[in-house]
Amino acid sequence: MSSCTITQPAQKQNVGMGQTALAKAPGLLCSVLGSCVGLALYHPRLRTGALAHIVLPTASGRGALPGKFADTALPHMLTELLKAGIPREGLVAKIAGGACMFGVSGPLQIGDSNIEAVQTLLAKENIRIIAKDVGGQKGRRVTLDCSTGELLVEIAGHPKKVL
Amino acid sequence: MMRNRTRPCRTDLEILRQLLASATHDASAAMSRWTDGLITLTLDEVRELPLDRVCSELNIDDSLLTMVVLSLEGELGGEMILTFDEENGRQLAASLLGREVNADPEWSELEKSALTETGNILACAYMNAVTRLIDHELVPSAPYFVRDFGASVLEQALMVQAMTSDAVLICRTGFHREGEQLNWHVLFVPTEALRDRMGDALHARV
Repeated sequence: MSSCTITQPAQKQNVGMGQTALAKAPGLLCSVLGSCVGLALYHPRLRTGALAHIVLPTASGRGALPGKFADTALPHMLTELLKAGIPREGLVAKIAGGACMFGVSGPLQIGDSNIEAVQTLLAKENIRIIAKDVGGQKGRRVTLDCSTGELLVEIAGHPKKVL
Repeated sequence: MMRNRTRPCRTDLEILRQLLASATHDASAAMSRWTDGLITLTLDEVRELPLDRVCSELNIDDSLLTMVVLSLEGELGGEMILTFDEENGRQLAASLLGREVNADPEWSELEKSALTETGNILACAYMNAVTRLIDHELVPSAPYFVRDFGASVLEQALMVQAMTSDAVLICRTGFHREGEQLNWHVLFVPTEALRDRMGDALHARV
């Protein structure tokens, strides 16, 4: 099964661990994140976006889910966007997630490494990060609105943020 | 390092299910003593699920849950998560403390303590059963109380398995109060090394 899907207009699609998805306006792409990072790419003029639910920083030849690793997710998203007629020129990025769940003594704290990997890869590809909400110790629910490019970030017990 | 793991066959999962059913029996007895006979447990399922569909398959979505998380450190490790919805978590805490259900949105330290102790009791009962099987002592960490999106917490619990595989093994236990199913669960996510060790021990027995 492909880990990248294109939503129909007006659908809200959940993007699970290791998945990527594309949507045109007015589609919505959402994900619930802990230490994983949600990488949203958006083309404002063409009103099309993509969201990846990145689990780990580097693939090192592992796994069949391209969205699972930062270094495979970004190229995969760019390829899928291009297939959908969206050029990389004009794309902007927003990122969220990378929490240190259960505090620093918790199991396998990978959030910081995920954030760093995504930021480094975007810089190499010259894709500008125009907003981010990362770190902390709480999970996030993120929703990319492909009509506007807004990324809604919800954290339990905190006011909603729009990036 | 990732290695290509052979997917567990139906027989392996059935053997694991038998072990965990036995551990659940012990945990149920401990829980019954802790709650004065009010609450019992049954093993719902032992499944291997694709990583990208695990939350949807388990119906763990973006709802806010109250959870107690315990970790087993080391290679033979894993995560155990006790999950409640808000109402059920409050009710359990109230019944353990012999009080009315607290209407304050903030959980008191006493309520948190009642739930974390419940997590401790369950985890120790499970780990004692697994320890006996594999002849290696498993000691859970101090319990961690958290209120968060269920999927966020499960994601973290799956992280060690996700490093080596695109599929994860999950054991889910349900709770009953006087025969009525409650919206509480225990999720046990063993590491690959622990599940292999359990499998080897069980195969040696049969």
